Amino acid sequence: MFLRCILSGLPLILATSVARAADEIDFNRDIRPLLSQNCFACHGPDDHDRKGKLRLDTEAGSRKAIEPGDPAASEAMARILSDDPDEVMPPRKTGKKMKPEEVELLRRWIAGGAEYAEPWAYVAPQKHAVPTAVGDGWAENWIDAFLLDRWAREGVDPAPDADPVTLARRLHFDLTGLPPAPEAVERLAASDDPAADYRRLVDGLLASDHFGERMAVYWLDLVRFADTVGYHGDQDHNISPYRDYVIDAFNRNLPFDQFTREQLAGDLLEDPTVDQQVATGYNRLLQTSHEGGVQPKEYLAIYAADRMRNLSGVWMGGTLGCAQCHDHKYDPYTSRDFYAMSAFFADVDEAQHFKVGNNALPTKRPPEIKVLSRRDRELLAKLEATEPRSAEVEKQIAAVRARERLTMVTVSIDPRETQVLPRGNWLDDSGEVVAPAVPAFLGALDTGGERATRLDLADWLTDTGGGVGGLTARVFANRFWYLFFGEGISASLADFGGQGVPPVHPELLDNLAVEFYEGGWDVKRLVRLLVTSRAYRLSSVPPPELLRRDPANKLFARQSRYRLAAEMVRDNALAVGGLLNLELGGASAKPYQPEGYYRHLNFPPRKYQQHDDARQYRRGLYVHWQRQFLHPMLKAMDAPSREECTARRPRSNTPVASMVLLNDPSFVAAARGFAARIVEEGGATRRERLDFACRAALSRPPDDEERRILGGLLPAGGGAGEGGEAWVPVARALMNCSEFNTRN
Amino acid sequence: MSDRPHLADLLNRRTFLNRSGVGLGAAALGSMLGREAAGTPGAEGGGLPGFPHLPAKAKRVIFLCMAGGPSHLETFDYKPKLDELHDKPMPESFTAGQPLAQLQGQQLKVQGHLTKFRRHGKSGQLVSDFLPWTAKLADDICIVRSMVTEQINHDPAHTFMNTGTAISGHPSMGAWVNYGLGCETENLPGFVVLTSVGGRNPQPIASRQWSAGFLPSRYQGVEFNSTGDPVHYVANPEGVSRAGQRRLIDAVQGLDRHRNAQVHDPEIETRIAAYEMAFRMQASVPELVDLSDEPRHILDMYGAQPGDGSYASNCLLARRLAERGTRFIHLYHRGWDHHGGLEKYMGICCGLTDRPTWALLTDLKQRGMLDDTLVIWGGEFGRTPMFQGKGGPGRDHHIKGFSMWAAGAGVRGGITYGATDELGYNAVEDAVHVRDLHATMLHLLGVDHERFSVQHQGLDSRLTGVEPARVVGDILA
Repeated sequence: MFLRCILSGLPLILATSVARAADEIDFNRDIRPLLSQNCFACHGPDDHDRKGKLRLDTEAGSRKAIEPGDPAASEAMARILSDDPDEVMPPRKTGKKMKPEEVELLRRWIAGGAEYAEPWAYVAPQKHAVPTAVGDGWAENWIDAFLLDRWAREGVDPAPDADPVTLARRLHFDLTGLPPAPEAVERLAASDDPAADYRRLVDGLLASDHFGERMAVYWLDLVRFADTVGYHGDQDHNISPYRDYVIDAFNRNLPFDQFTREQLAGDLLEDPTVDQQVATGYNRLLQTSHEGGVQPKEYLAIYAADRMRNLSGVWMGGTLGCAQCHDHKYDPYTSRDFYAMSAFFADVDEAQHFKVGNNALPTKRPPEIKVLSRRDRELLAKLEATEPRSAEVEKQIAAVRARERLTMVTVSIDPRETQVLPRGNWLDDSGEVVAPAVPAFLGALDTGGERATRLDLADWLTDTGGGVGGLTARVFANRFWYLFFGEGISASLADFGGQGVPPVHPELLDNLAVEFYEGGWDVKRLVRLLVTSRAYRLSSVPPPELLRRDPANKLFARQSRYRLAAEMVRDNALAVGGLLNLELGGASAKPYQPEGYYRHLNFPPRKYQQHDDARQYRRGLYVHWQRQFLHPMLKAMDAPSREECTARRPRSNTPVASMVLLNDPSFVAAARGFAARIVEEGGATRRERLDFACRAALSRPPDDEERRILGGLLPAGGGAGEGGEAWVPVARALMNCSEFNTRN
Repeated sequence: MSDRPHLADLLNRRTFLNRSGVGLGAAALGSMLGREAAGTPGAEGGGLPGFPHLPAKAKRVIFLCMAGGPSHLETFDYKPKLDELHDKPMPESFTAGQPLAQLQGQQLKVQGHLTKFRRHGKSGQLVSDFLPWTAKLADDICIVRSMVTEQINHDPAHTFMNTGTAISGHPSMGAWVNYGLGCETENLPGFVVLTSVGGRNPQPIASRQWSAGFLPSRYQGVEFNSTGDPVHYVANPEGVSRAGQRRLIDAVQGLDRHRNAQVHDPEIETRIAAYEMAFRMQASVPELVDLSDEPRHILDMYGAQPGDGSYASNCLLARRLAERGTRFIHLYHRGWDHHGGLEKYMGICCGLTDRPTWALLTDLKQRGMLDDTLVIWGGEFGRTPMFQGKGGPGRDHHIKGFSMWAAGAGVRGGITYGATDELGYNAVEDAVHVRDLHATMLHLLGVDHERFSVQHQGLDSRLTGVEPARVVGDILA
C-alpha cells in the first residue's frame, strides 16, 4: 500500500513511495484531499456556485450522495464510475479525472462507513505520548523518538550522522546566515567531547546578533517588508526601523505572542514603548499607490484585501483572500468573514497618505515617527549620562542622533464603516455593514459589547484557550521545521486548509506546537530543540536504500541539501572575499547594480545612487528592496518581490543565476578580495595557498583531484612571489562551485 | 508565490533539463522527478504532456503593448456623433455611477475626434490619419473595437492585461505560454521583454508585468536592455576572455562533477548544465542584438539605428528573436498616456511606432513567418470620449470599450469585430473581455484555456481566471 502524493491536480506529480504503516483510512489524510481536489469547487462550502444542492464537505450534506457502508448504492460512486460524458464526475470540462486507485480508496472509505473528521488544522494540537525506548540511545531528544518510531514502523534506516565540517557549516548558515570561521569548524572536528562542544556552538550562535538577522530574512518575506510602495511610481517609503525591530525582537527572544501583539496592535497597548510603536509598521507594509487619479474608495478596498491575504497567510496558514469575492471554495471561510476580519483594521489611519502622498522620494506616508533603534537609544542614554560631557562625548551624541530615521506606524482613528462588497466590487454599496469579528466557524470574541480591536485580534491569534493559538503555534512550528530541515512536516507552509497537504507526522507537529506555546512562545528554545535533535545532524547524502524508499525525504530520515538563500549567497561570497560589512541594523544599503535598471520607474524618474562607502558591502538583508525592480542578483537567486506573503521561496537553478555568480561585479570583487587573501594569508607555496583557499571557502582542505583542477587555473611556471591577480581564477572557481553555495 | 512543495523546484529542473540540450541520463531525470513523472516530460521542447491540445496555428506571439493606453477614438473607432456633440456636456446616461480616474468630480464634456478617419485597403477598414503605415496593413489586421477591461489605473490594468487578475503574484501570459508549450531555443530565453520610450510622460512599468508569478522562476520574462549589457551579467568580467571564461567554467564543472561523485545530487547535474547554457547565452545574446548582419534596406524599412533602444530597433529584434525560437516576445512602448496634448503626443507616439509596426508585419510576411506568428497590438485600456485638458485637449483612462488589433497566424485579416456605442463609451456589440483575448490567444497556440491550470493556494488557477471566457471564433481564419 502506498501513500499517494496529495498533489494529484498538479500536471507533474511527485510520486512518493513512503509505505503507510497501517492499512486503515484516515479521512483527513486520505479522503479529504480527494474530495477537495475533485469535488469541492462545486460541492463545497461556497453556496453561491453550489451544483445540485449537494455539498460533500460536511458529513450531513454528503448523505445525499453517499450511502455509508454501501458504495454500490451511493450516487457519488455511480457518477464517478459513469461512462456517460454528461453524467461523469468530475465533469469532463474541469479537466479533472480521478485515478483508479483514488476511486478504490473512496470506495473503501464508503464501504467502511464514510466517516468524516474535522479538518486537521482546525483541531487544536494535542500533546501525544512520546514513543518510548527505541533506537538504543540513538535519540538526542523527543523529536528523534517520534521519528525513530515512525522509521521503525516504515522499516527505514536513517542516514548516518553528518561529518563535523558539514554539520558546522550547516549550523552556521542555518542560525546566522554566515559561513563559519575555519577555527570554529576545526574546533568541532577535533573535539574530545563533540556533544558538549556542539551544544556550546548552538548556544553561541543563538546568542549571536546574526541569529536575529537570519530569522528576520524569513519574517520579512512573510510580512512582505520592502523599501518601496509597490504600485505605480514605486516610490520609497520610510520603514527600515521596522526591520531593526524584527532583528532585535528575535535577538532578545521576544515571546512570539508578544511579537504578534506588538505588530498588530502595539499602539493599543498601555503606554506603548517606541519599539511597540515601530512594530505597528506591520500594518503599513502593504502595497500602496500614489498614482494621480486613484479612487480612495477603490484603494481602501484593495488595501483591506491585501491585509487579509497577509494576516491570514502569516498567522493562520489560511487563504482568506479567496473569500474577497465569494465564500471560500475549500474552507469554511465566508465572504462575510473576510470583510468582518478586515474591519479590525478599519481604524488604521489610511486617509492621510491619500491627501499628502506624492511623488517625492521618499513619498509621504504619514503617520510616521522619527526614531532611533533600541541599541542607539540605550547608547544615547549612556552618553547623555556621562559626566563630564567632553567634546568627544558631544560628538558621539551628535553622531547617534544623526541616525534617527522616520518610520511608518499605526495610529488608530475612528473606524471607517466596513461593508461586505458583493463579488468584491467596490462600486457596489448594497452589502451588509459588518463589525470586526473572527471567522464564525473559529468562534467569536467576547468583548462585552464593545467594538473588537486589533489587540483583541492579536490576543485571539495567540490564545490557546478561547482563540486559535494552537493553530498559530502549529503554523509556526511547521515553518521553523522547514527552516532547519528543508521542508515542512506539512508541505503547504501557508495553506493549512482543505487544499493543503496534511502533515506527514501529525503527532510530532502537534507536540512541537504545544512545546512552542507551553514554553512561553520561546523561539530560541524551539530552535534549540530542533537543531540539537539527532535528526538535524544527519547527513544529507542518502544511502541508496533510503533514497529508493523515500526519494522525496518525507520521513526526514536524512537532512536536506539546497542552494543557500539569496542573501546568504551574497553574504558568503563577500565574507570569504574579506569584504562583508557586519554592521547590525540601520537604513537600507545600495550596493552595485546594473546601470539603468530603474529606467522604467517614473514619478519621479529614478537614478540608482549606489553607496560607494562601507555600505556597498552590507549584508543582503539590508539591500534596498525595490518591489518593482528587486536587485537582479537577489531576484536571480529567488528572493521574492515582497508584494505578497512568501512562506516558501522557490529554489531554482538557472543560467541567469550562473551568470550572476560568474560575472556580477560584486562577486568579481569578492573573488578579487579572496585572491588577495590567499596570497597574503595563505603561505608561500602554491600547495599552502590552495590549502588555505579551500579551508577558507569550504572549511576543509582540497583533495588531489581538486588540487589538480584548481592548480590548472594558475599560470604555468609560476610559484612563490605570484601576485593576487594570478589567483583570481582559483577564487572565482571556488566561489562558483556547488559546495560553496549549498547548504549541505 | 506558491507555498506548494517541490513543484517549482521540480519544474525548474525538468524544463531546464529538457531544454538544455545537455544529455542527462533518464535515470538522473527520473530520480529528480520521482518515478511517476520520469516517463512523462514532453520530449519535444519540454512543454507539458498533452500540449498543445489542438492543432496550433501560432507558434509564437509578439505582443506590442502601447503602454499608457492609446485612444481608440484617435486610432480605430470613428464616431460621427462624437464630433456632433463636441464641447457639449457628456450625457449623464453614459457616466452616472461609472468609475473615473483623473476626471473624478469634474464637469464632463464631449471631446470630438482630434483627427480624421479614412477607409483603407480592399477591406475598407477605418484607420485614423495618425497611423498611415498601419493603414497599409488594413487587409492584414483584425481590428477589435469592443475590448473591455476591469482596471482603470495603469499599474493594475497592465497586471490585469498580462496576468488576467489585478492581484499580484500571478504569472504573465508569456510565462504561461512557455510553461505550457515549452521553448524552441536552447540558447535564448523563451520569454523576452523589450521596452522603449517616447511621448507623454512615460508611465512606470513594473517587472511584475513579466513575472513568472507562482510558476517556476525559469519562466519569467528576461528583459533585454538597450544600453549596457543586453542581459544582466551576460558580459565576462573585465579582462576575462572567452577562452578564459571557458577554462573557468570547465574548472567549476570539474569541481561539481567531482563533488557529485560523492553526494549523488541530481541538482548538481542541473547546475553543470546551467553553467553550460550560461556560457552559450554569453555568445548568443550579443549575437542576437548585433544588427550588423542586417542589410541596409531592412534597417531602413524599420527605421532602426542599431543600439538606439528605439521601438524600431525593438521591432527588428523581435523578428530576430522570433526567427531564433523565442516563444513570447513582449514589446512595451511607454508614452501613450494622453491626458492632455493628445494631438501632439499622438503624433510623437505614432511617429515612433507606426512605421516599425508596419515593417515588422511586412518583414514577417516576406519571410513566411506571419503564418505562424501571432501579433497583437494594443494598450492596457482606451481613453474617454470626454475631454481632459492637461496642456491642450486630451482624454482620461477608459475601460468600458477600446480597440486592439491582431494579425498573423490563424487570424482573419481585413475585418473589424465588435462595436462601441455612438460615443465610443461602452462596448455594446460582441464585447471582448481581456480574458476572451487570452482564451483566443491560447486557442491559436493550440491550448484549451480551460484545461490549462496550475494549482495555487488550493485553486486551479488559469490565465483566463474563474469567470467564463470565450474563444472569439469570428475572428479566426
